Amino acid sequence: MQESLTSAVFEALKLLLSGDPQLWEIIGISFSVSGMAILIAVIPAVMIGFLLAFYDFHGRRILIAIFNTLLSVPAVVIGLTFYLLLSRQGPLGDLRLLFTQSAMVIGQIALCFPLLVAMSHTAFQSIERRAWETAITLGHSTLGALSLVIREARFALLAAVLTAFGRIIAEVGASMMLGGNILHHTRNIPTAIALETSKGEFAQGIALGIVLLLLAFVLNGLLHVFQGKGALS
Amino acid sequence: MKQVNSLEISPLIRFQELSKRYGKRQIFNDVSFDFQAKSSYLLTGRNGSGKSTLLRVMSGLLKPDSGLIHVKGQTNHPGLSWSKQQIALRDVVMYMHQSPYLFDGSVRKNLEYAIVNTPNSGQREQQVEQALQWAGLDDLSRSPAKQLSGGEKQRVALARAWLRNSSILLLDEPTANLDQMSRKKTLELLASLKQSGVSLLIACHEYQEFMPITDGILQLNDGILQKI
Ligand SMILES: Nc1ncnc2c1ncn2[C@@H]1O[C@H](COP(=O)(O)OP(=O)(O)OP(=O)(O)O)[C@@H](O)[C@H]1O
Ligand SMILES: [Mg+2]
Repeated sequence: MQESLTSAVFEALKLLLSGDPQLWEIIGISFSVSGMAILIAVIPAVMIGFLLAFYDFHGRRILIAIFNTLLSVPAVVIGLTFYLLLSRQGPLGDLRLLFTQSAMVIGQIALCFPLLVAMSHTAFQSIERRAWETAITLGHSTLGALSLVIREARFALLAAVLTAFGRIIAEVGASMMLGGNILHHTRNIPTAIALETSKGEFAQGIALGIVLLLLAFVLNGLLHVFQGKGALS
Repeated sequence: MKQVNSLEISPLIRFQELSKRYGKRQIFNDVSFDFQAKSSYLLTGRNGSGKSTLLRVMSGLLKPDSGLIHVKGQTNHPGLSWSKQQIALRDVVMYMHQSPYLFDGSVRKNLEYAIVNTPNSGQREQQVEQALQWAGLDDLSRSPAKQLSGGEKQRVALARAWLRNSSILLLDEPTANLDQMSRKKTLELLASLKQSGVSLLIACHEYQEFMPITDGILQLNDGILQKI
């Protein structure tokens, strides 16, 4: 066992460094699916975070409570929900999305959306109301004032995006149920690790694990930098 | 629809029967006031009488519970939505917080944010230079705005007002927490703004120092606005 583990690690490094096409394809799918999910979710989520922080509208408290609840819904439950919606017999079955990258993107949007809302709400809360009022009273349009306030909260907002990305790229439950781990199509890092390892493909699993670890280091390093900057100003 | 108030009005802004309450507390009730062009007023009243609240309503930052605001040159009628009145107001009024908010970045950057409608960057730069000079901020132009002293922040805020060049400037206790030197400088700058045609409404406690730049005094007392 000791010997096979050592050789598996060695094999993993070889896969990574030699640019093994199958391995890098899986990594590419992970990044493009999760990147797309963040890209779609970030603008509406940040807008909602902004509204929750700066507008006192009817139902605001309920909305905050709903997003906080959604925050703790397990990924497999989100996977299950969208599986039922997207499966052939489900209400959205005609779209034929189940086991496609689009389905994975949808699931990951659902996963990161509450997190993005909650974190950008907090980010905007740390910016005083006076910032918004000052921008408005200096004659900026709503959009102009919004961009000034976003600039004030930029480090905390970037931290929100990084945290959300870190959450969905490593998440296995929803990706498995909605993507189905199909090679060349929907096999991403976490599903490959979970399923291929169980088939004895240790080297690939370890190589992908190393990628996730490195990513975690990079994301945490960036978070550290941004949070430091946010605290300074 | 019958347009009751669409006739041209002579004051810059006509505030009609503004009321505002917080919870059960009525802050002011049926406050009416004609803001005449090129006139400056003081707004006095004891702590908690609602001066800040009234200024925020008058600048379009806070929605009154009822009342009508008619800006000169803008059509108006009693059913006009608050957001329409707000847009008209924000065009002509600027509000200055008691402790001004400065954005992350240098003093220069903060002044740039006060120029909204000048697309030419060379022109913007020139305006910023003039504003720095006007407020005596030349030496501080590169300083991080968040680290300035209270008096320096006040000068940056006044320089922004100078750049913004709105018809009306509402100031919330502009000399509170300032030392003698800064008060004097603030008054000089306010006099200069008034000279250049900006109308002022200044909320304050000690009005003696503002008398030279004042055309009228208003008092907010038990929710009622009176001229004194
Ligand atoms: N957002 C708010 N919610 C509830 N009550 C408020 C709010 N803002 C102000 N008030 C209350 O309204 C009253 C008027 O406040 P305001 O700040 O307008 O008074 P002020 O005349 O400016 O006082 P000061 O001279 O101390 O600055 C106060 O009793 C205050 O507690
Ligand atoms: Mg006040």
